[in-house]
Formats: sequence, C-alpha cells, structure tokens
Amino acid sequence: MPTKIEIDPLTRIEGHLAIKLEIESGQVAKAYCSGEMFRGFENILRGRSPMDAQQITQRICGVCPISHGMASLKAQEQAYNLTLTDNGRLTRNLILGANYIQSHLVHFYHLSALDFVDITAILNYGGSDATLKGLQAWVKAQLDSQTMFPAAPFLPRYNGDYLPNLDANIGAIKDYVDALEMRAVAQEALALFGAKAPHATALIPGGITEKVTAKKIAAYGSILSRLRSFIDRIYIPDVVAVASAFPAYFKVGRGCGNFLAYGVFDQDNGGHLLPAGRIKQGALSSTDPAQISEDTSHAFFSSQSGLHPYQGQTEPSPHKPGAYSWLKAPRYEGQPYEVGPLARMLVAHQKGHAQAKPMIDKLLGDLGLEATALDSVMGRHAARALECKLVADACAQWLDKLQPGQPTFTDFEIPASGKGAGLTEAPRGALGHWIEIADHKIKNYQCVVPTTWNGSPRDSNGVPGPMEQALEGTPVVDSNNPLEAARVVRSFDPCLACAVH
Amino acid sequence: MFKFNRRQFLKMGASLAAAMGLEPASVPRIVEALSELSSGQAPVLWLQGQSCSGCSVSLLNTENPSPSEVLTQYISLLFHSTLSAATGHTAMEVVEKSIEAGGYYLAVEGALPAGMPQACVMGHKPVTELVARAARKAKAVICVGTCAAYGGIPAAENNPTGSVSVAEFLKKEGNTAPIIRLPGCPSHPDWVVGTLVHVIKFGLPKLDEDGRPEVFYGRFLHDQCPRFADYERENFAQTFSGEGCLFKLGCLGPVTKADCTTRLWNRGANTCIMAGAPCIGCASEIFAKSPSLPFYRKGESK
Repeated sequence: MPTKIEIDPLTRIEGHLAIKLEIESGQVAKAYCSGEMFRGFENILRGRSPMDAQQITQRICGVCPISHGMASLKAQEQAYNLTLTDNGRLTRNLILGANYIQSHLVHFYHLSALDFVDITAILNYGGSDATLKGLQAWVKAQLDSQTMFPAAPFLPRYNGDYLPNLDANIGAIKDYVDALEMRAVAQEALALFGAKAPHATALIPGGITEKVTAKKIAAYGSILSRLRSFIDRIYIPDVVAVASAFPAYFKVGRGCGNFLAYGVFDQDNGGHLLPAGRIKQGALSSTDPAQISEDTSHAFFSSQSGLHPYQGQTEPSPHKPGAYSWLKAPRYEGQPYEVGPLARMLVAHQKGHAQAKPMIDKLLGDLGLEATALDSVMGRHAARALECKLVADACAQWLDKLQPGQPTFTDFEIPASGKGAGLTEAPRGALGHWIEIADHKIKNYQCVVPTTWNGSPRDSNGVPGPMEQALEGTPVVDSNNPLEAARVVRSFDPCLACAVH
Repeated sequence: MFKFNRRQFLKMGASLAAAMGLEPASVPRIVEALSELSSGQAPVLWLQGQSCSGCSVSLLNTENPSPSEVLTQYISLLFHSTLSAATGHTAMEVVEKSIEAGGYYLAVEGALPAGMPQACVMGHKPVTELVARAARKAKAVICVGTCAAYGGIPAAENNPTGSVSVAEFLKKEGNTAPIIRLPGCPSHPDWVVGTLVHVIKFGLPKLDEDGRPEVFYGRFLHDQCPRFADYERENFAQTFSGEGCLFKLGCLGPVTKADCTTRLWNRGANTCIMAGAPCIGCASEIFAKSPSLPFYRKGESK
C-alpha cells in the first residue's frame, strides 16, 4: 500500500497550491497538483472595453504583471492592426526585462533558497559583517525568547539535508538579504518607464504613455549596472554553488520531455531575443498556436473540454466529480508541454543562439554534465540564472538604442469587431491571451498561462501534467518532511494566481 | 532582533514620521514603537484570499525601513504564504497555533469568495473560514489592497465566485476587531508599514468614514496633481503620451483619494500621472467594479 502524504499549502510560491503524493518504496509513485484558488478573470472581462484588459489582466499576478499586460497589448494590437515605434518597442522590452530580473531573483533567493540553505548557520557566524551580525543577534534573541514561533517566517521548516558548509550558508544568507534590495531596485527601474510596479499603468495599446528622456536613460542604466553586477558576481555563482552541492538534483525532477516557447522580447528585425520553438522528446520543431487546446476533464469547470482558447469557456463547477484542481490542462496536439526558462534556454540552445548556446555549453562543461541533465530541478535553476544574465545584458543594448524626444506611442482606434492572439513569454513560461471584440466590447477573453501548462492536472487520457510527471520517481526519505518533493515543485517557479486566474 | 542604539532608532523613527506625515514631536513615541516591535511584541499574521500577491510584492519595495528591516526589526511575521519557510502541515500548524494564541495583527490580502468558499482553500479549509476565525482573535484587521478593502477585481460585476471585500465579509460575520482599509492596487508600502506602526503604538490612526487612514487617503488625487495647472488652464491631453491634464482620457484622479502624486511609487521613481498614464482609480471603492465605467475614454471607430 502506498503512503499518502500532502504538502498543503505548498508555500514560497505565488498563490494557493496543494500537492498530494503517493509514496511507494521511498519514492513518489503518483502525484496530484491542485490549484486551490479561482477568481474568474475571463468572466469578469466579458462586456468590458478592450482597453480595460491590459490593466485588469496585469492583476492576475503581482509577480509578473508586465507579461500579462504585454500579452493583452499584443492581442489588442493584432486586433487594432497596430505597429509600435522603435521607442515604444524598446521601452516595453526594458519594462519587461526589469520584471524578468525581479522575478528570477525572487524565485531563487526568496522562494527556493530556503530549501537548500541552512538559516540556523547564522548562529555560528564569526565574522564582522554588520548585516550578518545583526541577523545573528536577531535569530539568537528570537530563539531565547518565549515566542511561539521564533525567527518566523524563516523557521519552522522541514527537516532535511540542508547545505552542510558554514561559509556557503553564511554567504547565501547575506545574498538573500542583498537580493531583497536588488529586486526592489529592479522594480524601480521598471517604474521609470512603466509608472509603477507592480501593475504598470503606463502600458497602453500602441506603446507606452511615458516619454524617453536622457535622465531616464541614465537612471535606468545606473540601476541596470548594479543588477548586472549582482547577476554576474553573485546570482550565477550562487546557483552554481548550490548545484555543485546538490548534484543529485540534476537527476531528480525530470519532466514530460516536451518543451514549448512562444518567443519574447521583440527585436528590430522582427525576431525575438529568446526564440520561439518546440522540442518534442528531443526533436526541435516550430510552434503553431492552432494546436493549443484546454482539457477540463479533471478541472472544476463544466465547460466543454478540448476547446481552442478562441472558443474557450470558463464555467465553474466546484463540486464536479473527478475534478481536483482549478487549473485547466493545456495541451499541444493533445500532449503536455513544459514551459519556462528551461524550455526557452533549451530551444535557444538547439537553435544555436549566439549568446545562450555558449553560456549553456560552458556551464555544462564546468559541471561535467551532458545537456540531458538540464531536464531536472537544478537544470531549471541554472537555466533561469543564465537567462537572467542574457536578458539583463540585452537591456543594456536596448537602452543604448533609445532616442530621447522620439515618440513612444502610436495612436489608434478600437474597431467594432476583431480578434487577436497575444503570445509572449512570462518569466515562468509561454503566455497567451486571446481576445474577441464585438460591438467595441470584449466578447470573449481567454488566458493560457505558464503554470496552467506546468501545473496542469491530468487530461481526459489520464496523462498527468508536467509538474506531476516531474514529481514521479522523486525519492522521499522522510514522508513527514517531503523536502525533496517541495524542491521539485519549486524548481518550476509555480504561480497559481496566474495559472487559474 | 538587530541591536540598535538610540541614535539609529531615532533616525529610523524620523524617516517613518516623515513617511507618515507626522510632526517631529511624535518621533520619540515612534522610537518606542519600534523598540517594542523589535522585542517581538508585534506579531503579524498575513493571510491571502483571492489575491495576486501584488501587495506583498509591493511591501517588499519598501525603502526606509528596508524589506529586511521590516522582517527582522519591525514585525514578527508569524506566517506569510510567499515568504514562510514553513510549508505543508508545518505551515498549517503555524497558522492554527497562531490563531489559537490570538493577539496578533491580522493582515489580509485579496478578496474572499463568500458565494463559493471552495474557490479559495488552504490546508483543506476554506480561507473564508480561516479569516473569520483569525479575525476574532486579532487586535486589529488590516485589509491590505483594494481587493481586501473594497473587493477590487475579484468582486467586480460578472464575477462568478460571489466575491466580497474582507471588510464586508467580516462585517457580516459580526467581527468586532477594528478594521483598517488600505486600498490601492497594489497598496503602497508606506501605507502598510506606516499604518502598522501607528496601530501598534498610537492605536488607530485617524480614519475616515471608510476606515482609511486620513494621513494617506485624506485628499483627492486631483487636488494634489502635478498637472493641476493644466486642468485650470483647460489644457487637456488629446492622446495618450500627450501633454496636459489627462481628464479627457478618463483620469479618475478627481474621484480617487490617495497621496500617490506626492508620495510617488518605487522609491520616488515615478507615478501614474507623471508618466502620462491617467489615474485608473486603483485605490477607490469603484475600482474595476463595472464594465459601464471603463478606465479610459477613447474614440471608437464606426
């Protein structure tokens, strides 16, 4: 008989997620991922002005609002037949780029690191760094106090095989604190062109409302140089250090073997910085959005299963028999696909991307790994870190191309009817918004979001979603402390508010 | 807790006082508040309902005090779904034992699906039930963000979950703990940190009829607008990214109470109207409520 355990709630992700596991012979035999929160954005958008959408959909997620804004704008701009000015395209890349950097830093340091780093190591710190000494005093005072949960929110935690090395732990704790500051300044850079973060109001069909000035270019550049330095000198080395300390996690968390990317960051040649593509069991091919559908057989929706997003429906049915998640199950040609930085980096690598390929090859060489090892927990962390550098480096080039005084906005009219698909990439993976306009209003709006792909429940063929498949085979040493399974789930950087919306 | 000398505390107190718009004479009492907080006497339990976590992300954008200072010196954050090391049954144990003990400040982010409690569940428990129980033992309930304060987007027209604001939900539950509303999509970090410190030391800040601290929400945006002179001169922007008052593009500054035009967002980097973006009323009760009140006014083709 398998042992049934639950990780409910799975914290340090965005949103409400429950994981149910069946453990046999010390490893996960079956896994079920349940999205636990539903708001009904697609229902709320119906009947509204189309231009409400890039603001409302940003509120799907406070961690990656810009990606939803971009997907909505792309869908609308297709429907309005609009092209951007160079300044409009570049400032949007800079806004999105800053959001990527913020999101990737938060994911590694503030969401994932506590699965690997031993926070209690601070008690043995003997150095003189003011921040660390302050933290040490705080943890000591907390542990000495009568408080029920001392050093919350950093304790309590699962017992497990945390980093044993004192210096490595101390370094990581310092970087956790510094990364808090770095993610905040990334948001500051975003706001220079986006007005505010999260939820940027400067995003508008036809470009952005903000203007380009020399001062803004200099301010963004100043922040970007701090961020690039942190990524190069701290973030990537920290990921490599954790990867080196936990080499087994290049073998744990292998997903469904299919990867999908829509492409993101529009370049002046009409292409993308991070290319579109699809890898099916190792073979690279192209992406055709017509092949996307959403299965609802195990989701809390009475809506018809297998519809393309243009026809998609979202009718809740919270007591539906056999359903166990608020996530629909997106499928491409009926198959589950993993999306995210790993998918993007694998597609870029296979396409021989000028920056991505040498970066990935060097990392694999340094760690003595084959490319197949990337389909794993550590592979996902490594791909995210390398992508963060790639995006930050590209931001510097986009910034150089901005022209002060030139327009960032192209005017337009909203047609009485139209359709548009906005395909882009959020930090967590392939993101699509589909809009249908009738009588100047939104007739239908559907979002298929990265974690909808990765965290999807089983489909009508009983095929588990990518995260569920990645959990299968994961060793769990202590079923009261299923830290290994939590590490697998967090490697996907799940965002549940996004996934269900 | 970091050991701070009095000079450092005074410095922090002064920056907080400035952030809260208080007279310098109040600084010593704030210093005391911070000392009290740092001894672990200000536990905060943070629960998320139908939220996007944007108010949590925004709170981490706080500058003075910094995010790490907030976490280690200002509040004792018992539980926060996005930050807590505790996960699974360990997390539920923290939440349940905290509720049992009581005496915390309850911060809630997100609206609540009163008509469909299954639409927001944590540890097999509807979050509606957790919030109702947690509020009974709270010293005060802080509704962080427009969703918790007024319902926001989850509670907009045509929403399928019977979603309501936390404030409305608790009123129906017969809650007696003081309720403070900090609307904003997201709520500004100064509004959250400034209010927490005020509640703990000075008691309730002066609230308006809606339960909003007057120091942050006392005036309409329009009255503090950097483009007010354009409005007076009837110099109206005709297109997005244009010069002039944004009223004719749909700006909701005249009906939105908040101080973002003077406080600015993201450490002073910018704010909507400075960036040419009409105020969409994200801190107002009517935010996103109805399709009949779109964010923008824009010519439609025939």
